[in-house]
Formats: sequence, C-alpha cells, structure tokens
Amino acid sequence: MTKSNDGVFMTLARLRGQNNEGILALVLFALIGTISFLNPVFFSLSTLFSTMRGAIVPLIFALGVLIVIISGGIDVSFAAIAVFSAYTTVKFLNDGEIDPGLLGITIIAVLFGLVLGFFNGLVISLFKLPTLIVTLGTQSLFKGILLAYIGSRYIANPPLSLDEVAKTNVLTIIGDDGRGAYLHVLVIPAFILAVLVAWMLKRTMFGRAIYAIGGDSEAARRAGFPVIRVQIFVYGLAGALAAIAGVMHVTLGRNANPQDLVGNELDVIAAVVLGGASVFGGRGSVLGTTLGVLIIQVINNSLILAGVPTAWQRAAVGILLIVGVGIQALSAKRKTQTRSTTPIAIRMLEDKS
Amino acid sequence: MNEKREIAQSATTFNKQADSLVRGLIGRGRSSHGTVRMFVILLGAFAFFTFLEPEIFLNPVNLSNIMIVSPEIGVLSVAMMLAMLTGGIDLSIVAIANLSAITITTIYSEMAAVDQEQASSLVFVIIGLGLLVGLCAGLLNGVLISYVGIAPILATLGTMQIFNGIAIVWTGGKTLYGAPEHLSMLGKVGILNVPFLFLAFVLISIVVALFLNKSSLGRKTQLLGSNPVAATYSGINPRLVLMSTYVLTGFLGGIAGILFLVRNPTSSADYGSSYVLLVIVIAVLGGTNPNGGFATVAGVVLATLALQTLASGFSAIRLSAYEYAIAQGTILISVMILDQLSINRRRKKSPQVKSKRVMNEEA
Repeated sequence: MTKSNDGVFMTLARLRGQNNEGILALVLFALIGTISFLNPVFFSLSTLFSTMRGAIVPLIFALGVLIVIISGGIDVSFAAIAVFSAYTTVKFLNDGEIDPGLLGITIIAVLFGLVLGFFNGLVISLFKLPTLIVTLGTQSLFKGILLAYIGSRYIANPPLSLDEVAKTNVLTIIGDDGRGAYLHVLVIPAFILAVLVAWMLKRTMFGRAIYAIGGDSEAARRAGFPVIRVQIFVYGLAGALAAIAGVMHVTLGRNANPQDLVGNELDVIAAVVLGGASVFGGRGSVLGTTLGVLIIQVINNSLILAGVPTAWQRAAVGILLIVGVGIQALSAKRKTQTRSTTPIAIRMLEDKS
Repeated sequence: MNEKREIAQSATTFNKQADSLVRGLIGRGRSSHGTVRMFVILLGAFAFFTFLEPEIFLNPVNLSNIMIVSPEIGVLSVAMMLAMLTGGIDLSIVAIANLSAITITTIYSEMAAVDQEQASSLVFVIIGLGLLVGLCAGLLNGVLISYVGIAPILATLGTMQIFNGIAIVWTGGKTLYGAPEHLSMLGKVGILNVPFLFLAFVLISIVVALFLNKSSLGRKTQLLGSNPVAATYSGINPRLVLMSTYVLTGFLGGIAGILFLVRNPTSSADYGSSYVLLVIVIAVLGGTNPNGGFATVAGVVLATLALQTLASGFSAIRLSAYEYAIAQGTILISVMILDQLSINRRRKKSPQVKSKRVMNEEA
C-alpha cells in the first residue's frame, strides 16, 4: 500500500468515527435526501423543527440507556421510572395546588428518579445479578406501585407553568406562504443534557470509569475503580435522566397518563444500539446515539412523505437495526478483536483454522 | 423393649432416608432447585387462595380458566428457556407467534370466502403453513445469530420489529376474524374437565423435555450453554447447534400462534405484546440460568402455572392487576437474590460439599 493511500484511509477512518458516527450521519443524510427527492415538501424548516421536537424525549431516554449500556448493562425500567416520577410529582403538586414551575417540578421528579435508579443499581451491583432480568422485575414493580397506590387516573390538567412551557417556542420563522416553523424551547435543555453527558463520559473520571467497567469489570476493579459505587451511580443517573424525560413528556403532551411510555423501551434501546453502542459494554458515544435517535425519528415521522405507508415503520426500523448491527458484527468478526458472548466458541474455531 | 428399639431404629432409618431424599431433591444443582422452588410456590399459592376464598378460587370455571390461559404463555416460556439455555434470548418469539396466527387466519378466511369446503379440507395444510412461518422466522434468527454473529438480544430485537412490522403491514393494524373453526372447536373440548389446550401444553412440554435430555442435539445444546469453549473442543459444531436451537424456538413460537387461535379465533399484530417480558420472567423463575447452561422444562411449566395461579388468586381476593404486577416483580427479584446468595454460600463451602457427596456415593 502506498503512503498516499494510507493517508486517504486514515482520513476516511477518522471521518467514519470510533463508533461509525460518520456512517450514521451518511445514512441520515441519505434518508433525508431520498425523502426530499420523493417529496419536496419534506425538505423544510418546519419538518426539521418538528423532528427535533419529537426527538426531545427519546433522546433524553437514550442518553440514560447509553450510559447503562456503556457500563455493560441494559435497562428496561427507564420508562416505568419516567412515568412514576413525572406522574407522582404532578399528582402531588396538583393535590396540594402548588406550582413550583418547570425547574421545581423537574427537580422533584429527578429526586424520585434518582431513588428508583439507585434501587436498580443497588440490587444489580450488590448481588451481581443480570441487569436485564433485574430491570424487568423493577419495571413491573415500579409500574405496579404507581398504578396500585399512587394513581391510575389520567390527569388532563398538569400544573399551569408546564402549560406555559408547552406553548413556548424559542424560534418562530414564518415562511412566505404564511406557514410557520416553530422550534420548541425544550430542545435547548435536551441539547444541554446531551452535551453534559458527552462531557461527563469523555472528560471526567466517572465517565472513564463507566467505559472501563463496561470494557472489563474485573480489570477495572484491579485498576482501582470502585466498581460497585460506579454501577450504583450509573443506574441512579439513568433514573434521573428518565425522570427528566418523563417531565418533558408530560409537558409536551400537556397531560399525565400513568399508562404511558411503558412498552416502548425496546425502541429507545434500538436507537442507542443503532447509534453504535455495543451491548457488551465499553463502547458508545453521545453523537452516535443522537444520530440513531434522529434516524428513527425521521423514519417514524416522515417515511409517509416518501410514499411509504406508516405500517412499514416498524419493519423499516427493524431492517435498519439488523443491517446496522449485522455490518458491525461482520466487521468485528473479521478483526476478531472485539469481545462477544455466544460466538466465543465460534471465534476460537476460526482462530484455529 | 426390643420392639420399641426396633421401632426407634426403623424410625431413624426412615428419617435418614427421607432426609437424603429431600437433600437429593434440593441439592441436585441449580436446575432442580428451580423446579422444587416453583413447586413449593405453586402449592403455597394454591393453598393460600383456597384458604382465603375457597368458593371463588376452587370454582371449576376459575380452575379451567387457569388451564386455558397458561398453555400459550407456557409454550412461549419453554421456547424462551431454550434460547436462554444457550446463553441467548429470543425477544421475537411473540411476534413470531402472532405472524403464524395471522398467516393461518388470512389464508383460511380468504379460502373460505371462495370455497368453504375446500378451505375445510385443506385446514391441516394451512396450519402447517403457520408452523412453517414460525420455522422460517426461527431460521432467520438462527442465521443472524450463529452465522452473521449478531448478539442474540440485538438480532431478535431487530427481527421482532421486522416480524411485528410485517404483521402490521399485512393486517393493516386491524384485528382479523375468521380463524379456522376447527381450532376454536378444539378449544371447547377436553377430557375429564381438563381442557384440550392444557393437554397440548403438557404434551409439548414432555416432547421438549425428552428432546433436551434424551436426544443428542438436546444434550449438545445444554453443553454449549454451560461451556461453549469446552463444547467446541469436544467436537460440537456450535453454529449448527445454535442454529437449530433458534429454529426450534421459532417452531415453538408457531405452535404458540396456533394455541392463540384455539383460545381465541382472532389474530392481530399486537396480541400479547406484554408477553415478551413476562415470558422471560417465567423462564428465569423456572430456574433457567440467563447466562446459559441450566434449565429444566419442568421448572418452566411449574413457573407458568404458579404465576397464573397467583394472577387468578389475586383477582379472587379482589386485588388489582397492578398489585399482581408488584408481586411478580418482587418474586422475580427476591428469587434472583436468594439464588445468588445460595450460590455464594455453596461456593464458599464447595470443598466440603464435594467430599461429602463423594463419600455418599462411595457408601
């Protein structure tokens, strides 16, 4: 291979990104390009803004799930935590006729989320139990407690301050045709949270510990990372993020429904995995996750503009997921350096031959 | 005097025998542990609810209801157990069952619209097609997992969306009516008050148990789950075994789809969407090790019945479905914690236990 060729490959590799962010961005642009080509109406500011609005809640969920997945676990209780925290907060505030504003409400909800998340973390880390099974159990537990003891009635009038926020747009652009494009104000906190999580993962000791534990928890322990403590905080943080997403969901939808959200966990996990995070832990990035969430948003909201019936959304997301992780698996197999569970034996055979 | 001594002696020998029997039952590793535990929970729940609300709980309608609801969940749980036995998981199993049920319903109702007689005569072929759909879906899972090398949880997460997506496209999101009457007729018959569905469930479980313990492929599946590296070096083809596990899982999904139709002659894309996670819970409660290697069909069957008994008992004493959800979550987590604690204890004691067992065997 010639030197200049090497340089090209290096640049390509850099553009591709550590977790295939470059490829994801390409997929997103290709998707946008195709839909715009098929239906020019799609290519507009208002579509962009509404896609961003739709991505707010899934993105915040995905950030929490990302942290858990990087640490080598999986969390399916986040939606239950979100509903629990947001609904409980709204119900108590409504009952007491108190309205502390969006920030106050979020803080109270986050406290609930932290407690529930810590509970997950304690059970998982102290007894070294499989994360999927534990969070399945706590999902059922949290949702059951919420519906049995706190409330099962739909609340149509959350605190007025949330209503105010729901109507606030940070940017309003009225086009020539009089149709407006509105950018919702909650896009800003979602963006700030994404930046904060990215900063935490890349630049803080806690963030590096999460990657280390996800890569190899025994090695991390021997290197001096407090594995149990980090794990507990990871689940606590995921709970807090879920609670924030829950409050935003209530705000955007202007109602608190205790039957909401639970059942769509796998969609968020799909977005995170599509975004390049490895379910075996140790790999994943906020940028990739954001792109994954946006791709799924575009598919879910805009495929219909390209003439694809909405019924195909689910299948389209599934195919994209299989193709995405399939390519990753095949390239990992070729390198035979990434770890994987089932195919250990298979890989050993290949190493031999 | 002599007589008394003899009685005392026979009592002690009886005690010893009973003791060793109980120990044997409890001590035979993790898998039978799950079976015993679930048996205890099932009996306990049964006794508890019988004591509290004998009239409602022991009502034949209630009992036969337990036996009618359990089979579809039970077959799905057995399928999930197989996937977990190899250290994997199959999230697509309910979507497969629905796809199979939808296949049967659509083909049959369309044929019946043209020619009722012909549709009736071809009903077995149509049901076979439903099973074939399950088989093919399992084949796709198997290829993705064992040949492409995607982690089972991701591969089946993706195929779940695909199968479910196909079902939505096919049905247009509507509930389909017009499943073969033959199937719903089966749902009404039974032997000695035991519904056909339940008999089918028992039969399927026995076949799967025989497959796991008596057939070469079944033994290989267990080996691969408990130690993939050792299994590979023992000349087991891991890809082929993994592949056939997921094909079998898909096939069982197809059977579950037929059971859906026996119970209820309609099918839709989102039927039983809450089953996915419930089925994992049942498999784990039945003593299945999520990391692979240990599982028994008996444990899973008992866990299915125990949870169903609990659910119907909860409604008998007028507790809500939400309180049942709490109980389900609490049982799952506490069983996992107790399991882990007993493993830790056994590990600490392991040299002693081993020597004791060796001594017993020698004696």
